[in-house]
Amino acid sequence: MIVLRASLALAVALGVQIVLGLWAPGLTRWVDVLLFPVAWYALAVSQRAGLVVGCVAGLLQDAWLQAEMFGASGFSKSLLGWALGGLAARFELNVAWGRATAGALLPVIDRLVLLGLRALFDRGVVAPDPVELAVRAGAGALLTLGVFATMDRVLKIDPRRGRRARPPR
Amino acid sequence: MAASQANPTRSNAVLLVVVLFAQLLLMAGSLRREDAADAVEDGVRTASGPVLGAARTVGGSVVAALRMFGDVGRSRKELAAMRGEIATLSAEVDRRQEQALENDRLRRLLGMRERLAPRSVGAEVIAASLTGQSRVVVVGVGTEAGIRVDLPAVAWGGAVGRVVAAGSGYAKIRLLTDPSSGVSGVVQRSRVEGVLRGRADGLFEMQYVPKYADVAVGDAVVTSGLDGVFPKGFTIGRVARVQETTGASMRIEVLPEIDYGEIEEVLILLEKTGSETLEAGAPAEPAR
Repeated sequence: MIVLRASLALAVALGVQIVLGLWAPGLTRWVDVLLFPVAWYALAVSQRAGLVVGCVAGLLQDAWLQAEMFGASGFSKSLLGWALGGLAARFELNVAWGRATAGALLPVIDRLVLLGLRALFDRGVVAPDPVELAVRAGAGALLTLGVFATMDRVLKIDPRRGRRARPPR
Repeated sequence: MAASQANPTRSNAVLLVVVLFAQLLLMAGSLRREDAADAVEDGVRTASGPVLGAARTVGGSVVAALRMFGDVGRSRKELAAMRGEIATLSAEVDRRQEQALENDRLRRLLGMRERLAPRSVGAEVIAASLTGQSRVVVVGVGTEAGIRVDLPAVAWGGAVGRVVAAGSGYAKIRLLTDPSSGVSGVVQRSRVEGVLRGRADGLFEMQYVPKYADVAVGDAVVTSGLDGVFPKGFTIGRVARVQETTGASMRIEVLPEIDYGEIEEVLILLEKTGSETLEAGAPAEPAR
């Protein structure tokens, strides 16, 4: 069931990213919709779920929306999903401030990791624009809060309880 | 208890290392255009292709709906009294305008196709990404129409980009403004040659131009044909700024002729050169 839900979440995120590219291509510079499922599964489910969803989300982005280096976004989002999931397992991050912080940091770190990979493979590296990073962080924080609030309503989760309790295996 | 808690963490770390190593191999294979990496990429696209189709359908409906209701907010009081009739008429006007614009674009493309390259394929843009690090569009035709990697893509206005991936039913085009793109260009007036590279801000930088070359702001820059991909004569942009440097070459910024965010159809040339090239700025004759 979790696989089905994750697949659906990724399909919706990819669809929204595609529609955004059709409707307002310039906005794709500021918003990475495929990071939202990564944040959700890392914060609300588990570290492993964040890692796997990040891997698939990144590969989808590489396949359709990146010109070269298939695997770069997969690398970055896998790492982000794992790291965020690990932090969420130790600290209570599935609350408003944690979600906003994650939503702000994920797009920035994602961009920096991609830059590092391009440098590693000796591809042309464009210095990050601080304004662009700031806008991505702000938009990411706001949209992450919105997405999580929507998911809380849909799945009837009480955000004050943080991560949903899962029985030990 | 501590051991059972450590195991998932350790296993997740091992899984992370495996995944990251696999991604690094994919990146290396992708850059070397190895068949295995291309096969994985094709597999991902094949598996997610239906999502793209659904997004196209939904996206088109959303855009149409937004256009239909776009005026409602600005004149709510007036539209409240005539809501039904105005909404219907607005939708009809928008639809007819869109058809007229599309017809005009397609006529121009068809006219350009007939003059330029007997073998070429028109394609609709179905996805676009214009980030600072990557600028690509995806079109809805692929290998079944004869499209393959490294073919040039053009639109009304000039050169668009190069095909970097193609499969059944799709092709991915890297725009000329992508930071990894490069195209050989020539200043139309003075015939000064150089290489235009994309920048994250959406402009071009023309490189390898000698310091004392005759280049002025406003000069048109067109493809030179020397890179073996684009036929010569396609407009790339206009010189926006010329800066002298301390080095042997000057720094030239070129403003793209095409608004890449507004491209809806492209023409992919199946041959590198046609029987006749289109002069930059010359309108195509409408198809008879």
